[in-house]
Amino acid sequence: MNAIKTHLLTRGFVSAAVLLASALAHETAAADRPASIDVEPKTVEVFVTGSTQQLLTTWQPGDGTVADVTRRARYESSDSDIATVTKTGVIRGHSSGKTMIRVSAEDLSLDIPVFVRPAEELPRVSFASDVVPILTRHACNSGGCHGKSTGQNGFKLSLLGFEPHFDHATLTRESRGRRVAVSNPDASLLLLKATGRVPHGGGKRLDVDSDDYRVLHNWISHGVHGPRENEPRVDQLVVTPADRVLKPGASQQLLVTAHFSDGSTRDVTRRAIYESNVPELADTDETGLVSTGSQGGLFSIMIRFGEKITTFRGTIPFSDGSDTPAIADSETPPSSEFDQHLFAQWTHLGVTPSAPADDYEFIRRATIDVCGTLPTAEEIESFVADDQPDKHERLVAQLLERPEYASYFALLWADILQNRGSGYSTSKQRPGTTLFTAWIRDSFAQNKPYDQFVSEILAATGSQQDNPPTIWYRSVRTTPDYVESVAQAFLGVRIQCAQCHHHPAERWSQADYYGLAAVFARVGRKGGFADAEVPTNEVIFLKREGRVVHPRTGEEIAPRALGGPAFDESPFSDPRRELTDWMTAADNPFFARTMVNRMWGHFLGRGIIHPIDDARSTNPPSNPELLDALARDFIDSGFDIKHLIRSITGTRAYRLSSTPNENNANDMQSYSRFYPRRLPAEVLLDGISQVLEVPTNFPGGPGVFPEGTRAIELPDENVPVNFLQVFGRSARTTACECERSVEPALAQALELVNSTVIQRKLSNSPFIERLAAAESEEAGADEIFLRVYGRLPRPEEKQVAVDFVSSASDKNDAYRSLIWALLATNEFLFNH
Amino acid sequence: MQDIKEHRDRNTASISRRRMLQIGAPALGLSLADILQARATSSRSDGARQGKSLIVFWTHGGLSQQDTWDMKPNAPAEYRGMYQPVATSVPGIDITERFPHQSRVMEHVSLVRSVHHENGIHAPSAHWMQTGYFGPTLARNAAQRPSFGSVISRAIGAGAPQMPAYVTIPKSEAFGYQGAVYLGKAFNPFEVGADPNSEGFKVPNLALPDGLAPESVEDRRALLKTFDTLRRDIDNSGVLEGLDAFKAQALEMVTGDHVRQAFNISQEDDALRDRYGRHQFGQSALLARRLVEAGSTCVTVNTGYWDHHNEIEQGLESLLPPLDQAIAALIEDLKDRGLLDDVLIYCAGEFGRTPLINGHAGRDHWSNCFTVMFAGGGLRGGQIVGASEKWGGGVRERLVTPLDLLATVYETLGISLDTHFEDGSGRPVSIVDTGRPIAGL
Repeated sequence: MNAIKTHLLTRGFVSAAVLLASALAHETAAADRPASIDVEPKTVEVFVTGSTQQLLTTWQPGDGTVADVTRRARYESSDSDIATVTKTGVIRGHSSGKTMIRVSAEDLSLDIPVFVRPAEELPRVSFASDVVPILTRHACNSGGCHGKSTGQNGFKLSLLGFEPHFDHATLTRESRGRRVAVSNPDASLLLLKATGRVPHGGGKRLDVDSDDYRVLHNWISHGVHGPRENEPRVDQLVVTPADRVLKPGASQQLLVTAHFSDGSTRDVTRRAIYESNVPELADTDETGLVSTGSQGGLFSIMIRFGEKITTFRGTIPFSDGSDTPAIADSETPPSSEFDQHLFAQWTHLGVTPSAPADDYEFIRRATIDVCGTLPTAEEIESFVADDQPDKHERLVAQLLERPEYASYFALLWADILQNRGSGYSTSKQRPGTTLFTAWIRDSFAQNKPYDQFVSEILAATGSQQDNPPTIWYRSVRTTPDYVESVAQAFLGVRIQCAQCHHHPAERWSQADYYGLAAVFARVGRKGGFADAEVPTNEVIFLKREGRVVHPRTGEEIAPRALGGPAFDESPFSDPRRELTDWMTAADNPFFARTMVNRMWGHFLGRGIIHPIDDARSTNPPSNPELLDALARDFIDSGFDIKHLIRSITGTRAYRLSSTPNENNANDMQSYSRFYPRRLPAEVLLDGISQVLEVPTNFPGGPGVFPEGTRAIELPDENVPVNFLQVFGRSARTTACECERSVEPALAQALELVNSTVIQRKLSNSPFIERLAAAESEEAGADEIFLRVYGRLPRPEEKQVAVDFVSSASDKNDAYRSLIWALLATNEFLFNH
Repeated sequence: MQDIKEHRDRNTASISRRRMLQIGAPALGLSLADILQARATSSRSDGARQGKSLIVFWTHGGLSQQDTWDMKPNAPAEYRGMYQPVATSVPGIDITERFPHQSRVMEHVSLVRSVHHENGIHAPSAHWMQTGYFGPTLARNAAQRPSFGSVISRAIGAGAPQMPAYVTIPKSEAFGYQGAVYLGKAFNPFEVGADPNSEGFKVPNLALPDGLAPESVEDRRALLKTFDTLRRDIDNSGVLEGLDAFKAQALEMVTGDHVRQAFNISQEDDALRDRYGRHQFGQSALLARRLVEAGSTCVTVNTGYWDHHNEIEQGLESLLPPLDQAIAALIEDLKDRGLLDDVLIYCAGEFGRTPLINGHAGRDHWSNCFTVMFAGGGLRGGQIVGASEKWGGGVRERLVTPLDLLATVYETLGISLDTHFEDGSGRPVSIVDTGRPIAGL
């Protein structure tokens, strides 16, 4: 056996490469490096029966790749009286002293020194850093059990242990002190229940001979001390490795280390909680071993210990790249910086992009995405015939100048800005919603810079007639409304959880929540009529003062940016303006990225951060470089929305077909093909009207909605149209884009099959009348397919259509059935 | 308000957040199984469904408990009301003289006389009783939580592929709170849309619009099949697959036999239809029975309007007899068919009515202590749970919350009480939270 052994007596970076060979390494090519194994940590310090240390063994075969061999390596202790090591690389100390652990893998080995400190030197059990994480680890304080707001069976803990003082009091003082028994720890109710020795609704959570039991036991026997002011606290959680490329069916041991404020570190791999954001791709067991499935993609593992979280990011390539066609296409090399980031990710993932979409697909896609409208047959034919190389860019530029662009984006933004028409006194609300929608539409038509758009809304004062953006304040009125709407709509953050407790999956605390609330504490409202709770026609003004208090501590909270600086509290300044100044500054980490991500998701079908408005460290962007590049470009352009749209629609990703190739069918994150999605409700209804040339008569009559009003032009969601309701228009009760849904439902299918609205359009269609009266059924078929699908029929489709119509006794009826069928197909219903 | 916590031996493990999220939607979008959420209950060999179903009589407006199931014959006249109690088939249980039919079958009926919540306005109270949670107010009235019918639709689905899992007759009520909210549009109720007692009753949603002949529908169906060839594999989100399934279901419902027959109440014997009563409540109950036999899992018969602030006697005289007849006929009919153990019947409204009759000879809203009724479903029957104070008023014994009622329903139907669904902000919300099934039923 060609083992290369090196004895280590000092700390420092070592590799088991042959020392002589390393001198020659400079002369060899990178691919010819000798193989080596690396072990983390380089030295180990544990306490007698006090702590354990997970080893992480990595093999570098010498070709530039790395592989985790922690579970395959052999571990041997030189003196098992001092320290032992398990097959999975977990070291445990037994008596004080020093010894070596030999790690062997792939014919290489490495010795790791282990220092075992005596039990007396073990730091006192820390409630916050030792006990609480155990409760979190075993889900005692989870939202399903004792951590929920009402506790469980009379025992309430703070959710996920965010409030150690509270938990300490609960454990030591409540329930007549039976929960912990200092003189006889094993008889503590806490331990009896947790080990199932008395009936426990949550079952058996701990074994009596486990490390965790021993820690709790020690904590009790040492006097159940609570959190101390000056004890070392966990400053940071570090996971090694932080990211890795893993093949399908592979595994990777994680090593999680807590860094304390006094400089010490501790292995908490077996005490942490692991959660994958895409369990179908990869998941983790409680020992921190990540296992990948069979599919390619990107995933991250959220790791929690105590209050701290960190993230491991994994990449599972779709292929090793050796049998896929060259990704870098020499004919059309990546032109923009954005394309470079896309290409880099496709290479990294080993995924091949699909072929480009053809002209018919592109013009339909772009017209729908920019204008919420189907292209006409003339527009299609003109685009197809255009042979200039920049025709795609010119098409988008033209679309952006059409009035439908402003109407469509006003519709989408009226959703996010909660321009809600229903409520108690709906008849009074319509003038306001009409004004607000019109203002939003004008903003898009003028291409108002996005920073100005948002500032005008948030800092609005006055009456709705004078200043329509004040209408945002009609729906957004309470503390939760302000905080959650602003955070979700403009900062891309879902902060709802932090209203009552620390956010379980991000760093937001209640202080952050109420600091943002305090920005709006001085918003005053005058006048208004109709119902007391949601009046209309209020005048919004700024009061001289206003306070927000922390709901638990009662202390006043100063207005503050989210995670950022406190604002000036002078009565002469408007904290809302300070908020918008902070948001629109070039270095703000949320504002531009949120808009960019939202727009990217609109055009490409999925945000780079997904869900679109749920940015957190535990939900990282799938392509951070792309997102950052787009955000920087957006800021540099002066927050120019049309510029952003041109940038996004100009990328290679937006030009791809949705048809998968052999390799990218399961890709859902890297945009290697266009991700199809169903058309929004208003676009569908308008599309049907456009094909049949019969506009929808909206309830209220022509006096309210002039003939020819389109669904995308409606002022609010309160126009009673069953079609729009069942196809998922937004109810506008929150700032979440998710309220507009494309989920399928039986009611949608029934609407298509037998609604009178559609039947009436079919029965009164001038288009169908012309078709029935016309000579050529072939030409008719072409026209129909262009209108409905945006393309010409394939020969077999044309045959079916022509045969069907020509053999019918009633041509009108035949065309009605034919067009109905096409309108009910997925090719019409989807943007693909 | 006193929380009653039953001591139950929960042998279910505690819920990790991950498991809660898995019960909700997977990260990459709803899977087809989630969207359709059916077929979990298979049919038996005799064609009947496996698993229990639920028929609800919703007393929209608030039924007066003191004139129906919780009589106070010894109270002063202004509390007592106009009716006398009568004995029932269960010694010791008396109910109103206006419920003669139910008194015959009392051994199958249980009453919970101590339901309590803390709101006295129709819409918020309806949300509370339909969803278990208080949330919307009159002005900020958007539904916040899913109704129990939608929860059942999502957790169990339908017992037959073409049938809608959750149906409301004649249409949805409860101030708009009978819907699915964040569970997903697929779990909204199917509204029958017409009174089953009406002449020429047909279901608008299943009926072809004017000008569309059945032959044309066949043409359309065939053409749709020919042209609907967009590749399924381009869409990983499940939406395309889901739409296909619903289109097939819709066409089947409209043209096929199973669903139309289920709704075809005229197939029933006249004699049976008479027993249920030739009124909306009776025929709705009969239709509900047909629907659960055909595969629906939750059918809500919306009755009303019980909001008798004025002249309550007049109001109840016209509404109590048909309700009584409908409920009793349903119980007996199910029993005759051997289905009573498999169908839970639940009668409730948003609140009860004041023990004290007001100055207009009516009763006003009262949520402090009111009564709901259960029957069938394998429950013991003939039970009284809880008690109100001497002349009505507050709860004297065994306070029961709306969540407790839902927990009872879910447990009877076999839905795990640990079930959580993610709301719009990603937070897992329990279907029962602090609610516990009522022991002893």
